[in-house]
Amino acid sequence: MMHDITIGQFFPGNSIIHRMDPRMKLILTFIYIIVIFVCKNFWSLGVMVLALIIMVLLSKVPVKVILKSIKPIAIIITFTAILNIFYVSDGDPLFDWRFIHITTGGIYTAIFMIIRIIALVVASSLLTYTTSPTLITDGIERLLSPLKFMKNSVHTIAMMMTIALRFIPTLVDEFEKITNAQKARGADLETGTLVERAKALVPVLVPLFITSFRRAYELAFAMECRCYHGAEGRTRMKIMKYSKLDAFALLFICVVTGGVVALNILFVHII
Amino acid sequence: MSILRTDNLTHKYSVGTPFEVTALDSVSLDIEEGELVAVIGHTGSGKSTLIQHFNGLLKPSEGKVYVDGKDIWESKQSLREARFKVGLCFQYPEYQLFEETVYKDIAFGPRNMGLSDDEIDARVRRAAEFTGVTDEMLEKSPFDLSGGEKRRVAIAGVMAMEPKILILDEPTSGLDPKGRDTILELIRDYRERTGSTVMIVSHSMEDVADIATKVLVVNSSKIMSYDTVPNTYKRAAELLEVGLDVPSVTKIFMELHDRGLPVRTDIYTVEQGIEEINKLRLEGVNL
Repeated sequence: MMHDITIGQFFPGNSIIHRMDPRMKLILTFIYIIVIFVCKNFWSLGVMVLALIIMVLLSKVPVKVILKSIKPIAIIITFTAILNIFYVSDGDPLFDWRFIHITTGGIYTAIFMIIRIIALVVASSLLTYTTSPTLITDGIERLLSPLKFMKNSVHTIAMMMTIALRFIPTLVDEFEKITNAQKARGADLETGTLVERAKALVPVLVPLFITSFRRAYELAFAMECRCYHGAEGRTRMKIMKYSKLDAFALLFICVVTGGVVALNILFVHII
Repeated sequence: MSILRTDNLTHKYSVGTPFEVTALDSVSLDIEEGELVAVIGHTGSGKSTLIQHFNGLLKPSEGKVYVDGKDIWESKQSLREARFKVGLCFQYPEYQLFEETVYKDIAFGPRNMGLSDDEIDARVRRAAEFTGVTDEMLEKSPFDLSGGEKRRVAIAGVMAMEPKILILDEPTSGLDPKGRDTILELIRDYRERTGSTVMIVSHSMEDVADIATKVLVVNSSKIMSYDTVPNTYKRAAELLEVGLDVPSVTKIFMELHDRGLPVRTDIYTVEQGIEEINKLRLEGVNL
């Protein structure tokens, strides 16, 4: 079951998207998310979807893997769609029975919302698929570094995020190992009532916690041995540089944004 | 009758992603009851994947696993039976201890089997005796024990299930020579006294050579050989070729043989070495 976690999983590669500066990718994802909320009709949304498809194809991440990132939010999507179908009362009525009123407007809004949420999730997973967690936190740290007055805390937070991200696969691995070991001793983790299953997790969680504390202790020791003392005077091995590629990407998103705004003005708004 | 049999067992990890790897490639093998099998292979050879199929923790991508003549994936019942018939003790088992007392931790497996309290108590005490866990230790918290003691408690936890096949993954890793000898000795005693089948996974053959009856060599997802210890060491050159170590004494005799002395090359203990040298002396070979 742990193998299903794909959000936040890095997909190694050497595509144009992979080679972009992580800072630019963060900025672009941010802009993309804002612009997708600016979209008012299917035309402008279509432009955003098209732009996303181009980016996905450029990234060379298999479409199957991208689609997998949508799976965990399927419930949210369905829920949003149902709410919109029942509560939006614009447009022509399609179905009317006691308190249930379904209109064309409701259907349109529901479809619009579904596309919007999927685009949102795919865009942000594209960032994590093409950028290693370390690069993402590095990028965030550097984007925030102009905030001089809180520079130290920016570094500390970035370091904490890096460590947390770094240890997710380790903990997943550890969890699996311990689960297997207890299963080998006949532990039943899959059947029973909710309470029984929660209780069955104790033999897994106790060793997992103990191991985590041990790891934290060892890591702190190792960091101290290498003279880590926070941000002060710390230099970097890899210097991030914006390239032509990043300039082109920025231009691309500007054109897309322009297109979205123009289409918003030209066509009727749906929401 | 063979207690454990695999039939064209194949296992692939991460099917359908670029990370797909074949960890086991149509492995067929037959293990007789009562053997003490040393499973040898270097890191990534597939030996850990192989043993996790024996008690159904991993499901084969293709092929079958039979325990006691029964296909373990036939039904939920047969899978559960296999879990108890095949006791699997993972590497660094001390990191799985979780109970308040050593006694309770050893009793975890038998309790999951649904045995009566009397039976559980009897099994815990038997397993504790096998592993040299004293009555005083049984009442302690497992987290207050030393590394070697924790290891023995963890092994006792699997032994208490009294499996027909006991599999231990690198039971001696990370222990000092004395701790290592203690563990190997208790495993040997356990087998002699219960007559059960035992498998020990190791990357160092020297450790297990003198207690094993058979050696299973796993190399790049396949079984390279499954034979008696002397027969395996006859192929020492092949073993070295695939990156597996052979005992120093074997290396010495291989070297002597290469230099033209008429010695056997399937020697793997120092005692055998001495015997061979004495034999040559008697035969009047100029050493």
